[in-house]
Parts: sequence; structure tokens; C-alpha cells
Amino acid sequence: MIASKSFQWSDARSITAIALALGLGLSAHAQGDEGVLDTLQVHGFLSQALVVTDDNNFFGPSSSDEGSFKFTEIGANASLRPHEDVLVAAQVLSRRAGGDGSDARPVLDYGVVDYQMLSDQQRTFGVQVGRFKNPFGFYNQTRDVAFTRPSILLPQSIYFDRTRSLGLSGDGVSLYHEERLSNGVIRTQVGFGQAQAGDDLRRTLRLENVPGSLDPKQSAIGQIRYEHDGGRIVAALSAAQAKAKFDSNTPLQSDLTFRFRPVILSLQYNEELWSLTAEFALRPTELGGLDNPWLNDVTGESWYVQYTRRFLDDWQWLIRYDSLTSNRDDRSGQNLEEFTGGAVPAHSQFADDITVGLQWTPHPRIMLAGEYHHVDGTGWLPVQDNPDPSETSRRWNMLLFQLSLRF
Amino acid sequence: MRRLNLLALAAVMLLAGLSLAGASANAREEPILLVAHPGVDTHRLKRDTTRAIFAMRQRTWPDGQAVRVFVLDNNHPVHARFAKEQLAVYPHQLQLAWDRMVFSGTGQAPERVRDQAEMRLRITTTPGAVGYLEREYLDDRVQVISME
Repeated sequence: MIASKSFQWSDARSITAIALALGLGLSAHAQGDEGVLDTLQVHGFLSQALVVTDDNNFFGPSSSDEGSFKFTEIGANASLRPHEDVLVAAQVLSRRAGGDGSDARPVLDYGVVDYQMLSDQQRTFGVQVGRFKNPFGFYNQTRDVAFTRPSILLPQSIYFDRTRSLGLSGDGVSLYHEERLSNGVIRTQVGFGQAQAGDDLRRTLRLENVPGSLDPKQSAIGQIRYEHDGGRIVAALSAAQAKAKFDSNTPLQSDLTFRFRPVILSLQYNEELWSLTAEFALRPTELGGLDNPWLNDVTGESWYVQYTRRFLDDWQWLIRYDSLTSNRDDRSGQNLEEFTGGAVPAHSQFADDITVGLQWTPHPRIMLAGEYHHVDGTGWLPVQDNPDPSETSRRWNMLLFQLSLRF
Repeated sequence: MRRLNLLALAAVMLLAGLSLAGASANAREEPILLVAHPGVDTHRLKRDTTRAIFAMRQRTWPDGQAVRVFVLDNNHPVHARFAKEQLAVYPHQLQLAWDRMVFSGTGQAPERVRDQAEMRLRITTTPGAVGYLEREYLDDRVQVISME
């Protein structure tokens, strides 16, 4: 159902993943009973936002007069059950978050064959092969789908764009298991595969103008999640390791290895009309091949607390405090500012964001949202929107509006 | 004084009557039953399993047959009551669970029906189907599944 002909896939791996998915799907199809096409589902979404800031730029020239419309998310997926134990699913995503139009080139977001080999009253066990979404924290798997987010922007301390590609998905194998206890459910998932390493990572490492290639290496991810009493209380622990290697083509820059090993603890309490959510993350990054104590081995810290309240059937408001520390050994950023002689301001090493937001869903397929952020620090401000950190302002305000549609 | 006492007595009786009427109204509210296609071999489901099936995380009946899940609209009162009373989850939690499945490649969405008459028709005609109905919509073409 997806018009894949016109798309230029980012790399051969995407094609392999799709071929694998289709191949397995079709062979299973041949064995399946009648009515396989009855199980075909096609879904999609489209979101367009307007971002307005007083200082600094977020997702495009947001501090200019009319703000930035360069935050667009479009996706379409298809899924099929060729056999009672098999699900074949793929999604194509076009996302522009600042940058030029070429960023919106559609990519394979996921493409999996899912085989649920065990499924009884007590437990479920299955495997996904292909490109799978990483279960990281509460929101990573569907971070680009507005209808699954409580606000237009997810808490940026954890779900920021700077190393987005590395944590998004893996090309490989993922195993999942669900065990039903007397008053709760334990779900575990582990995945092994090759991460993505997009331009975002290259910019974050400030390698965008250095000749050479940045290639992803093996990654692993695991999540254990406990849902108590039908999901009234949810707790999850996620851990990941992702690696990328930069092969330099110039003697001015040595080869680099980049390793990212985040851990997130997630907690949520749900009532009929309100939810309280908190996540805490430690983000150690190691950069090998460089003799710089400010980059070699740094652990960042992120956390947020969020309260959402539903009212009048189709409205929801939200308040959230979100905090990012880039380096736990230099929380104020003063040491880095002194080390760089003021070129990197202290306020680029943290960000404390107070957000209030409102969502209205007048129809199940339509959502309108607005939110306001007051931010102290530029820790998660996208590098591509603000190339010179010394020209950023420490305290800034942001207003966003978003229209989202789905089918 | 006596008149005041009478007034108080009347008020108490009125309140008691109202609360009794309320109680009997609740008692009259039909229980919502879990129903399936008559060919389904499973006749009992645990509540956790039922919840996993309606959350679209479990795709087969315990004997291996594929499940086809049918639901009413989120704002349909029977859907809300089934979710809360039988599954012990809120409709908004179910919707979010479905969205997360559909947009992460981990599952599919349930099939929507407009009303209970359509629910009964689809369950009668779809092998492996599961859904829910108020007692007055039951007939011998659907099978009631008991929940433990």
C-alpha cells in the first residue's frame, strides 16, 4: 500500500530489511489460510507545527518574525498477519526538524517480521527480525507520532535530537517476553543490531565539515517493564549501548570511536483523569581517539516530572519540569567555559525547562495542541539551528502550536 | 416544632428513597459479557489474558487460533464500562496502548464497530472473533466466554 517506488532508501540495509520482511511475509502468506488480506491494516499520521522563540532557534528560524514552520512529521505504515503467529509491519517516516527540505527525505522507520512463538494464558514470547524500534524510556518507540506524545515536544532532556538517530532503531534481532503475575505483568525486551548514525550525530560531534565517514556499529538495548493492576502503576528500566566510528580522511583529525551507554528509570501512576510521570536518565558517553578531558568520558544526567490532566472528554493539560545536565562533573558549565576561553558558554551545559501545554482532540483523527516553554540553558538546543554557541542566550522562551491528523 | 420534625422526616425519607432508587438503577444496569465466535474452542479466559488480548499484545487464543478483536468507539458507554469493569483499565490507556503498537511495528489496532448489532454480526461471521455485548444483544449465534 505504501508507494515505495518514489522513495530513495537511505542505504542498502533498508532494502535488505524490506526484502526480508516481504520475503518472509510472502512465504508465510502461501501457507496461510483464507482472509489474510482481511488482516491488512494501513495507518498514517501528519503533524505540522509552528515554533516561535524570543531568543535562540529551535527547529528552524524560530526567533525570526513569523517563527518557524520547519517542524513536520509524516508517516505511513502497513501491517499484515499472513499466519496466526506472524505479523509483518513496516513504516516510512518523513521528518523535518529545522534544516532544509532534504531532511524530510522518507526513510524506513521500521520493517519487521514478528513471530510470536508462544502465547498462552500465562505468557507470550516472540521475536522480531528486521529494523525494530528501540524500547527506550516510555516514549522512544513512537517519539515521532504526535498522538502518542503528551505534549508537542517530548521532554528534551531525554528525548533530544542531538543523538536521536543512534537510539532510534536497530537492524537486527529483538526478543520479547510477557509474563502475567497475580496482579501485574512483567515485560522484557532485548535487541541486538546495528544502530543508525545520521547527520545529527555528526553535527553533535562537530564533524560535519571534516572529511571522513561516520559509521554505526553494533548496538544492544534492553528494557524490563512492570505494569501493576492493569497499568495503574508502571515502572520500567531501560539500558542501551550504541557505538559509532569515525574514519577520518584527513591527518588533521584522528579516527574516533563514539560510545553511548544510557540508562533510564521510568515511573508512571495513572488514574482515570490524571497521570503522573517521571523519568531519570544517566547518559555516559565515551569518545576514543581524542585527548580532551571535556569530551573523552562524560556522564550526562536528565530527569523530568510531568502531570497530565484530562477534562471535558477531549481536552488535556500538562505541566512539566525537565532538567538536563550535560556533564555531572561540571554541572554549572563554568569549568568548560574557562577551559575554552569563553568560546563555549557555561549555559550550553545545562537546560531547565518549565512547560505548560494543552491538547484538544475534537475528533479521534484530529488533534490541536499548544504549549509554552521557559528554558534556562541551551543544553539540548539543536546544533544545526545555532551553529555558534557563544551567540546563544541563556534564558529563552518558546511557544509551539501543532495540528496533527491521522488515519 | 412538630411541623419541623415532620419536614425532617420527609426529607430523610426522600433522601433514602432517592438513594434506594439510585441503587436499584445500578443493579438494573446490564452486565457486559465477553463474547466470541461460536467456533472458538476456548470457553474460559483469565482476566489478564483478556486484557492482553484487548490491548492487542496477545494475538492468538490459548489453543493457537488467531484472535480478531472488535471494539466499539472509545466514547461509547458500553466500551467504557467494559474496559473499566471487566478489564480494569481506562479507555484512554487502551487507546494509547493501541497507538503505541500500531506506530512502533509491534502490533495492530482492533477493528471498530458502530454499535452492538454490528458487533454481534461481525463476531458471528468472523472466525476467532472476540468482543463484548450487553445481555439483551446476546443470541445463540455467539458464544459467551467466562472470565476468571
